[in-house]
Amino acid sequence: MSTPATERLLKSNDENFTIDDFKSNMPRWCTGCGNNAILTALQRLCRDEKLPREKTVFVSGIGCSSRFPHYMNTYGFHGLHGRALPIAEGIKMARPDLHVFVNTGDGDCCSIGTAHWIHAIRYNMNMTVLMHDNHLYGLTKKQASPTSPQGLQSNTTPRGTFLEPLNPLSVTLGITNASFVAQAVDWNPESLFEIISRAYRHKGFSFVRILQRCPEYVPTMFDHWMNHPDKTLLLTHENGMQVSPSLAATYKNQETHDPLNLDRAREIASMTEQVPVGILFHDPEATRYDDIRDPDRPISPETIRSALDSEFDKFTVWPEQ
Amino acid sequence: MSLEHVDLVAFHLTGERSGGQLQDVSELDLRPALFSGYGDLSRLRYDYPLVLVAAMEGEELLRPLSGIIDDLLAQIAAPGSDGEFDRKQLLNLEHEIRAALADGEGGTLSEAWRRAAEALRAEADEAAEEQLADLLERAKAALPVDGELIDCDGEAPGKVLRHAWQADQKTRAGALRRRLDQLILKLHGILQADYLKSADAKTADNLKGSVGTSYEATFDFEALSRLLPQGAAEDALPETRRQRVQWALDTLRTQRFVTGGQQSGDEAPYDFVFDGCAGALAAFRERLPGLVDLIKALAIAELEIDNRYKESRHDAYFARFNENTLVAADLEPFPSYLVLLRGLDRDPGWQAEIIQAMSTGLPIKVLAQADDILRQDDDTPGQFSFGAKGLQIANMALGLNRAYVLQAGASNLCRFRDKLQQGLAYPGPALFSVFSGAAGNAAGAAPYLAAASAMESRAFPAFTYDPSAGNDWASRFCIADNPQAESEWPEHDFHYEDAELQRIEERLTFTFVDFVACDRRFADHLAGLPSNDIQNGLLPVGEYLRRTPEDRAENVPYLLMVDRDDRLRKVVVDETLIGAARRCGEVWHALQELGGIHNSHADRLLAAERDRWQEEKERELAELRDQAPAGPAVSPAPATATEAPAATPAAEDSAEAAAEVEAAPPSDDAYIETPRCTTCNECTELNNRLFAYDENEQAYIADPDAGSFKELVEAAEVCQVSIIHPGKPRNPDEPNLDDLLKRAELFN
Repeated sequence: MSTPATERLLKSNDENFTIDDFKSNMPRWCTGCGNNAILTALQRLCRDEKLPREKTVFVSGIGCSSRFPHYMNTYGFHGLHGRALPIAEGIKMARPDLHVFVNTGDGDCCSIGTAHWIHAIRYNMNMTVLMHDNHLYGLTKKQASPTSPQGLQSNTTPRGTFLEPLNPLSVTLGITNASFVAQAVDWNPESLFEIISRAYRHKGFSFVRILQRCPEYVPTMFDHWMNHPDKTLLLTHENGMQVSPSLAATYKNQETHDPLNLDRAREIASMTEQVPVGILFHDPEATRYDDIRDPDRPISPETIRSALDSEFDKFTVWPEQ
Repeated sequence: MSLEHVDLVAFHLTGERSGGQLQDVSELDLRPALFSGYGDLSRLRYDYPLVLVAAMEGEELLRPLSGIIDDLLAQIAAPGSDGEFDRKQLLNLEHEIRAALADGEGGTLSEAWRRAAEALRAEADEAAEEQLADLLERAKAALPVDGELIDCDGEAPGKVLRHAWQADQKTRAGALRRRLDQLILKLHGILQADYLKSADAKTADNLKGSVGTSYEATFDFEALSRLLPQGAAEDALPETRRQRVQWALDTLRTQRFVTGGQQSGDEAPYDFVFDGCAGALAAFRERLPGLVDLIKALAIAELEIDNRYKESRHDAYFARFNENTLVAADLEPFPSYLVLLRGLDRDPGWQAEIIQAMSTGLPIKVLAQADDILRQDDDTPGQFSFGAKGLQIANMALGLNRAYVLQAGASNLCRFRDKLQQGLAYPGPALFSVFSGAAGNAAGAAPYLAAASAMESRAFPAFTYDPSAGNDWASRFCIADNPQAESEWPEHDFHYEDAELQRIEERLTFTFVDFVACDRRFADHLAGLPSNDIQNGLLPVGEYLRRTPEDRAENVPYLLMVDRDDRLRKVVVDETLIGAARRCGEVWHALQELGGIHNSHADRLLAAERDRWQEEKERELAELRDQAPAGPAVSPAPATATEAPAATPAAEDSAEAAAEVEAAPPSDDAYIETPRCTTCNECTELNNRLFAYDENEQAYIADPDAGSFKELVEAAEVCQVSIIHPGKPRNPDEPNLDDLLKRAELFN
């Protein structure tokens, strides 16, 4: 929040960015990797939203997708496996003025990080979470993840996986206080950018599952969806995703879906024959933990020192006693 | 024409009671017939007493006692006959509270509750004593709110507005205080960090002070001081920046606009409540330099904290920053100025002051309370300006366009609580014109009834004008809160018994005449008929006002009133009062037009369109008849059925765009569907001169001559989203063209 006079000055003094301003190291992802499309979409978002680099932070766990912070010329935190969300929550609590993004993979989020994922949804703190879902562990050279389709042969499942995959959309929609749930596909840059933009603008925990190609280990995994646009169900709505005429001409299979309709969102999330792309659920009124826990007054160093002193005093053995 | 009717006509035209049969109503203690159900207000449940809810976030600011009791009953009383005792006793309690307040007892709801509960317990039967005590205890525990309890009297509008204003100030000042505290903390942090880097901070004495007394003997602070690196001069804050930060910090700390925090100024915070517009304006002007400095300090602090202060740009801006630089939005975070005016009807000089305050655009919130809207000016004899006093000020303020205006009777303030809050939050001037009904001129009627009947009779109609609601009158102006706003006068069913004890039902119109008829000062304009049986040549006032002069011919208007024993009396009305009612109706009609009801411009336009449509349809019909072969007559189809649904603009746009997309001509040149590119680097790694990324990092053909047709075909083959179209080869001599063209076919 700034006073109107400051807003005027900042507007008149607006900085304009290019995508190059947000580029950092050359990505080490394989050629053809879907992560490149996600990286470009986020760099475009930062440019278009004019996010100050010193006020933007990308947090990740471990995995191919979690290399993301290295490739953004912003602040970043390459965390521990499955622990991107608690780190991001800590950052948001300490520095609510920062724009917080989280990049996590299907292994990172839906396996070792599941506990944090579930509770982060319920906490609904203001951050944008991109779940890069390529259906396997790629960085460690092909092991099955919780979202691997049944029968996928991998280094850990040579006879194929036995169980049906976990559905991250259904799980998220089942958690109390979920506020923004969307699905995107990396091979459709326009809708990817539109969905990420709406996720960023939502005040709360925006969870975007992005189906992401891995040309190295499962090169044909998404061909069924990519080669048949009629198998993609575009979810459009005046309060949801809106698509350009050219995209609408290619993807004719569309449904007008009100993102406030949770029951229909859950039905859509469970679809198997079509891949839904768009915003499944959006409740801008959901309670935010960072909002209700925002202290009424700023906490000064003196206050912190005095609180710590009084705690320490409980256990102090004074030298003179 | 009978003699009796001549007397009636004579009274109507001249106000003279000739013939000795017409009675002076001032002796009859009459009130309008529709008032007959409203004798002792303490026996009725209505919007008063009001609880000025002690501010709790999310609570409504004003709550009627009856609403609180209803909620309690729903919460604690069992449904059906099981809850009968609870319901009866709590309604008795409500009555006790209401009666005590009417007798002049004040205080908070909880105090009034305690007194009423004691009274109830004292009156209770022994058998019911325990049950009653239990009920009262449960009800008290479930009481959701507390706050001052007020009745509808001359003090009520001031108390309500002050209460709502305090709540608004609390929100506003709270937000500003938090902002100031944050900025002070961070500015202090900047200076503190600079200090800690300085040589001063690293002297032995300072180091010793920072360790504390317990371990001071353990350290050699002189050595420590020498060891610690001394900050380089370039690490220190530039002097201009340090001074700027210090000035902003001092200004934020010594401001007087909000209380709280660690004020370091010696002077008391400002007061924002005034009893005159001139005083409020003078105070605003006197404080303006301080306000300008504070706004400037806030902006400098925010820029400095974000490290976005650029001396090359901002120094000049802040050097010129003064009161003329301010815009309305700059004042929004600061308290508004509250002016409480009562007795506007007695001092017309205030009108000019109010209008001047409203025209400044400053956040001055004025309560203009009128207690007597029928008062006539002593210095303008001969003018009969019923109601004009109360109405003028709000109507004048409407003309300014930039002030929030609310007009309402005190009886309805609770229903206007949201609008009161909107007016207080509006970032500009606001006028709340309220008629209290507390002048005591209405024959025996309580202020609540007087204020309500002023609204009901259109003498003091309610409206709001909110300049922030939109750009047109339809968005800004609202009269929907008036009773039966669509009608000229409200109508109500009225039942009574005739001399034979037969139930009679009538539909009565409540007009301006009813409102004036309550006021003894205007008794001369009315005359009581000796008998209610006189019918000929009489018309009810509502009907009389509706008719044209020709239609009412020599009829005389009459009003139904009741005396102190609730006996119905017919009263005739003179032409002067009827003229005033007609003018009141005209004013109301003008408000209706502004509010979009029976708007003459819209009506004319609609009539013209209807005529045009009718003519068109008739012409079409005639054409059809002309074209039809001889045979059965063509019956006109309903207009709607003949018209095909028109395409919506959005659908047209979309269809056009889709046609455009589909009509893209095939080309012999190679091209990429750039918007579909996923930046996967396949093509750019193949040849980064032929393929390049645009400003969105999506591929396009940068130079078709920078690569071979073979590379184009290979790129098309590896592109995972199949958006590269190789076209036709540019070089006819390239080897293996036949094979390449065949491979390219898949992608063209």
